[in-house]
Amino acid sequence: MSLLPSINRFIRHIQRFKGWFGGAAALCLITGMYLGLITSPPDYYQGEIVRIMYVHVPLAHTALFGYTVLFVGSLWYLWKRDPLIDNMCHAAAGMSAAFTAVALVTGSIWAKPTWNTWWTWDPKLVSFAVLLMILAGYLMLRTMVEDPEQEGRYAAVLAIVGGLDLPIIYFAAEWWRTLHQPLSISLRGVSISGDILLPLSIMSIGFTLLFTYMLMIRTQMLYLVNLFDAKKGRLLSQVHLSKVGQ
Amino acid sequence: MTFLKVIQWVVWKDLITEIRSRETLSSMLFFAMIVILVFSFSFSMDQDAVRELIAGIIWVAFAFTGIIGLGKSFTVELHNDCLEYLQLSPAPKGAIYLGKMTANLLFMLTVEILLFPLFVLFFNLDVVEEIGLLLLIFFLATLGLSAVGTLFSALTVQIRAREVMLPVLLLPLAVPVMIAAVEATRGALNGAPLSLYSQWLELLIIFNVIFTVASFWLFELILDS
Repeated sequence: MSLLPSINRFIRHIQRFKGWFGGAAALCLITGMYLGLITSPPDYYQGEIVRIMYVHVPLAHTALFGYTVLFVGSLWYLWKRDPLIDNMCHAAAGMSAAFTAVALVTGSIWAKPTWNTWWTWDPKLVSFAVLLMILAGYLMLRTMVEDPEQEGRYAAVLAIVGGLDLPIIYFAAEWWRTLHQPLSISLRGVSISGDILLPLSIMSIGFTLLFTYMLMIRTQMLYLVNLFDAKKGRLLSQVHLSKVGQ
Repeated sequence: MTFLKVIQWVVWKDLITEIRSRETLSSMLFFAMIVILVFSFSFSMDQDAVRELIAGIIWVAFAFTGIIGLGKSFTVELHNDCLEYLQLSPAPKGAIYLGKMTANLLFMLTVEILLFPLFVLFFNLDVVEEIGLLLLIFFLATLGLSAVGTLFSALTVQIRAREVMLPVLLLPLAVPVMIAAVEATRGALNGAPLSLYSQWLELLIIFNVIFTVASFWLFELILDS
């Protein structure tokens, strides 16, 4: 029980510094864009087209980071039942869906010149498409439940089942067929040159910071909306009671 | 009541209800027959195309039919507030889940076993040698659908737009089951050696273990209100 107020206080505390996150995100994204679009060399095979990678790959990373936040947050919510964590999960799901959608679109634009097709049934594409569907289902589910506590519980169950499912979906799709270029950064070391890796990492950090910044704003907003609804309910019931009293 | 007794009673209750009303099985069967007919109208297939496509057609029909059965599994509990009695019952919720899951598995398998001869008949398949293997694939994949499906059936029955939300939530999560079931069925029907598609059976087993255990624990959170 002692952990509960502290995490709540931690979220409230860190909220005060959200401007710093936004500023750092802007700085990273501007630097990363400059390095990626202007100073980094064009690819030997893909030419200038490769520059969409500096947006596409960080977006995909951030979408997965968002789902990780959602997964851990959902477990946390089921453990502690803190409504603020529930708001955070809701916010993380919405933004993870947005990042997933943009990652799919940029990937599709990149796929057209390099693979000569807008869409192909490759494991990463399949997983991201399914991820988007799971998140869309999650957000739909949120609108279909009346009671906020029940809403949080059901949504958390869905997020956990989805999180367990995503690796299986990926492996199933990978066995099914594969075309995507292998990961450039893996446990076996880095297989790309420094002047590409540097802007890519800066963009990744930038998008993650941007996600965190947006997550804070959105969490606060959802929290205030819930607070407003609760107060509105109380006010309405007071008005109703006073009318009954007359 | 012991844990196993609860499972047994839930399965028994669902079977008895079904034998008396014949609602779920008959709606599943007729729906599935219509799906088969629509597929045979929409593709005019020669024997090569059939070999390529039939596994997918079989599993689309089975999955959609399964969703009808899964949806009914908890909507029948809404009459006479049976769902509330399930929620209030002191029986372990995990046992109720396993009972419901077993009943759903039995309904879906029954429909699949009744339908498969129609596929053989309409699409002119030869299955004599692989029938045991096919039944194993049907069992494993249906168990997977039922494991996740029962959890989401219990979830969607308590929210608005439940008929829409069950497939919307279930189908994306069932993607690995569908891929594995279609690939394994295609392998078995085309008479490929087992080693070429045994990985799909392994994937189904892994999926079933993970999601039966996860749903078993999460079910309490769904039924609790």
